Amino acid sequence: MTNPLTILDETYRVAWGDLCYLRGNVVEVLLTGLVGPILYLLAFGYGLGGSMEGGSSEYLAFIIPGIISLATLSGTFSTVAMKILVQRLFYMSFDELLLCPVHITSVILGKTLSGVIRAVVCCTVIMGLGCILSPSVEFSLGAMGVVVLASLTFSLFGLLAGMVTNKTQKLSLFTSIVIVPMTFLCGTLFNVSALPAFAAYVVYLLPLTHVSQLVRGFMLDTGIPLDSVAILLAYTALFFGLCYWMIKTHRC
Amino acid sequence: MCDGVPDDIVEVRDLVVRFGDFTAVDGISFDVRRGEIFGFLGPNGAGKTTTIRTVTTIQKPTSGSVTIDGHDTEDDYIAARSCIGIAQQHISLDKDLTVRQNLRHHAMLHKIPRSEMTERIESTASILELGDYMDRRIENLSGGWKRKASIICSIIHEPSVLFLDEPTAGLDTRSRHMLWDLVRMLNRRGTTIFLTTHYIEEAESLCDRVAIINRGRLVAMGTVDELRAMVGNVTVDVTDHEGRVTKHHFPDREAARGYTEGLDFFFNVRRTTLEDVFLELTGEGGLA
Repeated sequence: MTNPLTILDETYRVAWGDLCYLRGNVVEVLLTGLVGPILYLLAFGYGLGGSMEGGSSEYLAFIIPGIISLATLSGTFSTVAMKILVQRLFYMSFDELLLCPVHITSVILGKTLSGVIRAVVCCTVIMGLGCILSPSVEFSLGAMGVVVLASLTFSLFGLLAGMVTNKTQKLSLFTSIVIVPMTFLCGTLFNVSALPAFAAYVVYLLPLTHVSQLVRGFMLDTGIPLDSVAILLAYTALFFGLCYWMIKTHRC
Repeated sequence: MCDGVPDDIVEVRDLVVRFGDFTAVDGISFDVRRGEIFGFLGPNGAGKTTTIRTVTTIQKPTSGSVTIDGHDTEDDYIAARSCIGIAQQHISLDKDLTVRQNLRHHAMLHKIPRSEMTERIESTASILELGDYMDRRIENLSGGWKRKASIICSIIHEPSVLFLDEPTAGLDTRSRHMLWDLVRMLNRRGTTIFLTTHYIEEAESLCDRVAIINRGRLVAMGTVDELRAMVGNVTVDVTDHEGRVTKHHFPDREAARGYTEGLDFFFNVRRTTLEDVFLELTGEGGLA
């Protein structure tokens, strides 16, 4: 059994290069992470919400946790997946990393760390903004915990996608058929109970649905669905396991 | 440096690598001796890069085994990797980072103590006089400087064995000679060098022993003199009336002289080169 402190130390060593890039391009990285969620907030929160009966305040309180959940996906997946794809296929530096005397677990965690940091920073900004814009929304450490877990899950998903795909076009296809539907259907912008029964069942199986439910539960104090915690953890374990298998069996 | 003391620092046994129906490496076995410059020669597509990728743990073998300094690359991959440095055929540095950042990152990944890191980076960089280029991003360097930066990164942790996959491909003559000098210098400092190349003169000039691979199989291995003796130490180039040149190999000048007596064509008698050996062993109808 490897010492967890060794894994933590190696994770930092692996992540150092990506963190260097993050540090050197902090404005660009944060802007690209925040523009999308802020547009959602304006378009849906005020645009759509404002046209609802009774005004936008209730809907705004509903979608702020949804947009935070969305930011855990948008802030991680494409960043990590594209970075890995480029490092594998164009820079060849991913091969170089696999040659270093570090554990596979450290490689996986290290390559997801910059995505997690980016998403957590973006989500914190949106959460702060949400608390200012809607009195019903509360800053919650529990919600931050969910944000960290969800960012890790979707970063692992991005790592997996970056290792599986061999063309940028394939990654775009992956985004179109998996990420975009999740963005709109997983209870971020509307309540999934409004969907037809079969669609609601499919949506229930997707991880972003559970991130939305948990963040909403913590921020609006509507109760914590434990099944969502279990499902999110199961997805994290699944993506981690698949990444581990890919690297261990030299499939990337 | 690694602690192991076996004479052979790399041991490859019955290595097979298949991609679907295609066999890239077909049951090769060889050893690399500690302290030597070992050349791995073959035509394009012969299996050189697949072999080096498998030996250095990037590629999983279909079957067979590899040990580096006594460490099995499957079972004990972390220890094996700590003995390896590799400069791949393609520049495999992070092009978003500077030379210094790439060096630091390699040093960190190879767990060089923080207290030694800055000095190690500066002293390693000074080997190739990288000073003026240290704070430039890799993407802004010329091909030759990228290659030099790549080699410097691969030796920052003082590996026992350095794998160079076609290190001079695409470089101009001056850069090529500079890299040859670097390889010799690293070898003098005690680093075993495993060099793949398809430049014959590179192997002839640098290597203590050479292995020749063709279509995934090892067709010959030995010193340049031993390989020369395999096909014949003396070569006669015969030019016929239509200008076609054919090569004939003989064990010695005596035998060559016997052949050329009464020959009605232009001919040139000379010492067999590694290129002659290579063409004979990898060409159609050769000894392979």
